[in-house]
Amino acid sequence: MKKLISLVLAVAMMLTAASALADIVICQNKVEIGSIMEEYAKGYTERTGVPVKVITGGGSQDYNTVLKAEMASGREPDIFVIEGVSGYELWKDRIADQSDAEWTKTCTAPYVADGKIVGFPVAQEGYGLAYNKDILDKAGIDPATLTNYDAYAAAFEKLDSMKAELGLDMVVSMVAGTTNNMTWVTGLHNFNVYLSVGLERGDDTIINKLLQGEVDAERFHQYCQYVALLFKYSDPEMLLNGNQETQMVAFTSGKAAFYHQGNWMDPTIAQAGGIGFTAAYAPHAFLKEDTDGILTDAASWYVVNSKGNVDEAIAYLNALCGTDEGKEYMVDKAGMIPAFTNVEAKATDATPLTKSVVEWVNAGKTYSWQQYKMPDGFGMGTLGAIYELLASGAIDVDAFEAMMIEAIQGVKK
Amino acid sequence: MTSKVKRKLTEFLFLLPSLIAFLMVIIVPFILGIYYSFTDWQGTGAVSQSVGFANYAAIFKDAGFLHSFLVTLLFTVLNIITVNVVAFIISLLVTSEIRGRNVYRAGFFIPNLIGGIVLGLVWQFIFTNIVPSIGSSLGLPTLSKSLISNKDTVMFTMVTVNTWQYAGYIMLIYVAAIQGISKSVMEAAEVDGARYWTRVTRIQIPLMANAFTISLFLTLTNSFKMYDVNVALTNGGPVAMFMNKPVQASELLALNIYNTAFKYNNMAQGQAKAVIFFIVLTIFSIIQVSWNKSKEVEA
Repeated sequence: MKKLISLVLAVAMMLTAASALADIVICQNKVEIGSIMEEYAKGYTERTGVPVKVITGGGSQDYNTVLKAEMASGREPDIFVIEGVSGYELWKDRIADQSDAEWTKTCTAPYVADGKIVGFPVAQEGYGLAYNKDILDKAGIDPATLTNYDAYAAAFEKLDSMKAELGLDMVVSMVAGTTNNMTWVTGLHNFNVYLSVGLERGDDTIINKLLQGEVDAERFHQYCQYVALLFKYSDPEMLLNGNQETQMVAFTSGKAAFYHQGNWMDPTIAQAGGIGFTAAYAPHAFLKEDTDGILTDAASWYVVNSKGNVDEAIAYLNALCGTDEGKEYMVDKAGMIPAFTNVEAKATDATPLTKSVVEWVNAGKTYSWQQYKMPDGFGMGTLGAIYELLASGAIDVDAFEAMMIEAIQGVKK
Repeated sequence: MTSKVKRKLTEFLFLLPSLIAFLMVIIVPFILGIYYSFTDWQGTGAVSQSVGFANYAAIFKDAGFLHSFLVTLLFTVLNIITVNVVAFIISLLVTSEIRGRNVYRAGFFIPNLIGGIVLGLVWQFIFTNIVPSIGSSLGLPTLSKSLISNKDTVMFTMVTVNTWQYAGYIMLIYVAAIQGISKSVMEAAEVDGARYWTRVTRIQIPLMANAFTISLFLTLTNSFKMYDVNVALTNGGPVAMFMNKPVQASELLALNIYNTAFKYNNMAQGQAKAVIFFIVLTIFSIIQVSWNKSKEVEA
C-alpha cells in the first residue's frame, strides 16, 4: 500500500512537471511597456490557461546581452525579439517559420527572410525632432518651415537668443553619453538620419556603401554639420550625463524646445504625468535642400523559437492582433502603432508623440530605418564613442568627420 | 580488496561530488574557452573554422584593449594602496579603546554587503548630481561638473567607490591579525617605553605580515577583476583618445572582455582576451604572494 501511494505521488509529480513545461517565456526589449505587457500576459493566462512569463531587457541594459544570457540559461525563451538583420543572422538556426500563422494574413510589415515569414512586427515606431509647439509659437517659428539645415540653424539661433524670456535651459534636449548607455540615440538613431533621410523607403544605397566601408562624401559632410549644430544648442552636461529620464523631463517641463527621442517614450511620459503643451515631430532635415519626413519603421519583430513551444507561441501572437484584448493592449494600453490592417491605430492626445507619427505615416512622408543593418556594436560602440568626443568638446567637427569616416572604413574587414 | 585500497576508494568517492562540480564549472569551461579563442566562434551555433593565433594577434593591435590594460594596472595599483591604507587605519581605530568601536566595526563593514551594481548606481547619482551641486554652491569649478564624465577624474571616482566598498572587508582581516598578537608582547614594549607609532611599525606590522599577504592578494585580484562597480558607475565612459583612436577612458579589462564578447558579438576574440587576462593575473598574483611570503616572520 505504501509503495502504491509513493508511486501515485511520483506519477503526479511527473505530470505536474510536464504540464508546467507547456508555458511561454517571452524575452522582449521594451522597458517602457514591460509592466503593461506583464499585465496583458496575466490576462492571457486567465483566458487560455497558458502561463506566460515576460522577461524584459533593454533601455539602459543591453537587450541582446539579456537575450543571450536567457538562451544560455537552459530555459530558452519561446518568443523573443529580433531587431533586424543582425538579430536574424545571429539566431536564424532557432527561428521558426510562421508563414502559415493566422496573423500573417493581415500583417503589413512582417519580417521576411529566405522567402519565409518569420517575424511579427512589434509596432511601427517613429522619430524626428520633437518640438514644443507653444514655445515655437512664442518665438514666432513655424515648425512647417523646418525642412532644411538653414531653417534649423536660424530657428536654433533665434531660440537660443530668447532662452531667458522663453524659460529655456537648452534648445535641444539630447543625450550622447556612454556612462548612461545612451549612445544608441546618437550612434543608431541619429546616424540613421545620414543613412536614410531623403531616400525612398527601402532604398539601401547608403547603408550598402557603409557596409563596403565607403561614405557618400558630400552627404556625410552635411550630416556632420547637422550633428554639430544639434550639439551646439544642446546642454553639455545633458549630453554627457543625461539619461532617458532627465532628457525627457527637460522637454516635458518646458526647459527644452526640441527633444531627440521617438514615440516609444509616450508611455513613460504619461507615467511621469504627461505634458501640458502641444508636441509634434519635425523632420530631421539635415541637408541644404528640403527633405520633409520623419523616420519610421517596424524596428523589431517577435520571432518564435523553433526549439520551444511553437504552437503555444504562435497562438499567443495570433491573439495579439486577432482578439479584442490583444488589440486593446497594443493600441490603447501600450500606445503602439500596429502594422496590421485589422487593427486600427489610434492617435489620441494622451499619446502626443504617437499621434504625430500617425499623422506623418498617413501623409506618406516617412523614411525607413537602416541603422540595424550595421554590424553589432558598431553604431552604439564605435560610432557612439566618436559622438561623445564631439559632445565633450574634445574634437571639433572636422576631426569628427575624419574619425567617423575612418571608423566606417574599418567596417569592411 | 585490501583495507588500504578500500580506504582509498572511500576517500575518492567522498571527493567525487566536489570533484565533478569543479570539473564541470571550472575545468571544462576553461578548456573550452581556450579552444574557442583559436576559432571564429560567434557565440551561437557551431564553430565554423579555426583561425590559429589571429584573435591573439588582433588583440595587440586593439587600442581599446591596450588602453584597458593600462587603465586596469593603474586602477589596481591605486586601489591596492588606498584600500589597504584605509583598512589598516580603521582596523587600528576599531581595535583601540575608542568608545563605540563595535558600531564602527559594523558600520565600516556594511558597504561590503551591498551589491556592486546598486553601489555603482548610488555613487553615480552622488557624483553626477550631489557633488556638482555642492561644488557649484561652494564656487569650486572642478567639483561643479560631474567627476565621472571627465576622463581625468573618472579613475578617482572608481577608486573612491571601491575603497568605500572593500576597505571594510579587508579591515576584518587586519582586525583578526591585530587581535591575534599576544597582549604580553605589546605590554612589554609599552613598559620598555616604546611609543605608539613605534609599537605599530616595529611590532604589529611585522607580526601581521601574513595578514598583509592575504589582504594584498585579495585586493589585487579583486581590483584586477573589477566589473560590477565599473559597469554600473561609469559603464566604461567617458571617451578618451589613445593611439589616435577613441577608447573608453574607464573601461577595465573585465568590462572590455565582456563588451567584445557580447556588445560587438565577437565571442572568440573575447575568449582570447580572457585567456590573456588569466595569464597576466596569475603571474601578478604569484609574484605578489611570493614577495609577501618572504616578509613574513614568526613571533
